[in-house]
Amino acid sequence: MATDRSRRRALTLGATLTVVVVALYASGGVFSGLRTAANAVVSPFTWSVNEVARPIGHFFAGAVNYGDVVAQNQKLRYELGKAQQQENETWSFQRQLEQITTQLDVPFVGSLPTVTAQITTLSPTSFAATVDIDKGRDQGLLAGMPVVANGGLVGSIVSTTPNGATVRLISDTRSVVGVTFGKGTTPLVVSGRGVNNGLFATSVPLSTSLTPGTLLATDGLDGGLFPAGLPVARVSTVTLTPGAATYNLTLRPTADLRHLSYVDVVLWEPST
Amino acid sequence: MRRTLLPATIVTLFVVAIQLDILSSLRFAGTVIMLVWLWPVAMGLAGFTSLALYVALLGGVLVDTHSTTPFGLTAIVGLLLAYCASLLGREGVGDLDSAAYWVTPVLAAVAGFAAPPIYVFGGVFVFNFDLWRGSVASMMVVNAVAFLVLARIVTRAARAVASVGERVRR
Repeated sequence: MATDRSRRRALTLGATLTVVVVALYASGGVFSGLRTAANAVVSPFTWSVNEVARPIGHFFAGAVNYGDVVAQNQKLRYELGKAQQQENETWSFQRQLEQITTQLDVPFVGSLPTVTAQITTLSPTSFAATVDIDKGRDQGLLAGMPVVANGGLVGSIVSTTPNGATVRLISDTRSVVGVTFGKGTTPLVVSGRGVNNGLFATSVPLSTSLTPGTLLATDGLDGGLFPAGLPVARVSTVTLTPGAATYNLTLRPTADLRHLSYVDVVLWEPST
Repeated sequence: MRRTLLPATIVTLFVVAIQLDILSSLRFAGTVIMLVWLWPVAMGLAGFTSLALYVALLGGVLVDTHSTTPFGLTAIVGLLLAYCASLLGREGVGDLDSAAYWVTPVLAAVAGFAAPPIYVFGGVFVFNFDLWRGSVASMMVVNAVAFLVLARIVTRAARAVASVGERVRR
C-alpha cells in the first residue's frame, strides 16, 4: 500500500507531467507530432481490438437487424437509380450554371475539387462532436477545408496527419458558421449545441422573415471560413422572447450527422 | 510498482483502443461511456495508488490526442478520480473481498456521475466555456450506470494486472 507521502508525490508528478504536455501543446506544432506518435502507439491495439470486436458486432447486428438491412438496401438502390436519373437531367443545367457563376466570379462549390474520405472513428468523448477520416495531408487535405456529405455542410477539418484528419462537425459546441438565406442580405451566425442537440442561432433581427423550414446556406463573405452556397441547416423553431428585440432559432442540419460513412472534403482554403 | 508498469501499460493501451474503436461508436443516449476514467478508478479502489495515477495519466493523454477538446483535461479528471478512489481503496473501502458487494459499484457510479461536471468545470480553467452545452446530464447518468455495472469486473481486472507484477517479483 502506498503511503500518503508517496501518493502525494505520484499525484504531483502526474499533474506536473500533464502541465508539461499541455505546455507543449500550447506551443503549437508539437501537437501534430504528438498526435502522430500517439496514433502510432495506439493503432496496433486499436487494430487488434477492431479485429476481435468487429466480427462479433457484425454477427449480432446482422442477426438483429437483418430485415432493416434488406429494406435499407432496397431503398438505397431506388434512391441511387433516382439520383442517376436526376444527374443525367441536370448535367446540362449544371454546365450552364458553372459558366454563369465563373463569369460572375462567384465561388461555386460544384466547380471546386473534392476528395472523398471514409469515416474511421467518432469522437472518443461526448464533449466533442468530431469524426476522424482516412485521408490526410498526403492527399492534399489542410486544416480549415470544408467537409460536405448527405446533402449539406458537415464541418471543417481541424487537424491533419499524413494519412488522416479530424473533422469538427457543425454540431460541435465550438463550431461557428456564417450563413445567410433568401436573397443573402442578412448574415447570421450558426453555432453547435453538442453531439445530439442540433444547431442554434441567436440575435436574429426581427426584420428578417424566417419561418420553419427556411434553408440557411454559407454566406461566403470575404475572409469567411466556407465558400458560398453550402446548405447548412433548416429552421426548426423560431422563438421570440417577450420584450426582446431579436429572435432565437433552433435549427436542424441539412446533412444527417448521425449516419455519416463517407464525406467529401472540398479542396478550398479559407485564405483563398 | 515498476514490475506492474508493463502489464498496466499494455492493458491501458487496450482500454484506450476500446474507448476509441468501440465505445466511441456504441453510444447510449448519444453519450460515450468513459472507460478511460473507470479504469483508474477501479485501480484506485483496488488500492494501487501509483498505478491508478499512472494509468489515468497515460489513458487520458492518449485519448486527448484523439480529441479536439482541451488537451490534458481528460487526463486531469482521470488523475483526480484516481486519487480520490485510491484514498478509499487504501482504507479498504472499495475492496472487493472485505467490503459489501455493492460498495465498489456504488463508489464507481459516484465517480461516473461526478466526472462529466468536473470535466466541464475544468474547461473553465482553459477558457473553454462551451462544454456545458453538450448533454452533461445524460453523460452523468449514462456513465454512472455504466460504471455501476462494470465496476466489479474492471476492479478484478485491475487486481489481476497488479498481481502479474507481484508474481514476477516472487
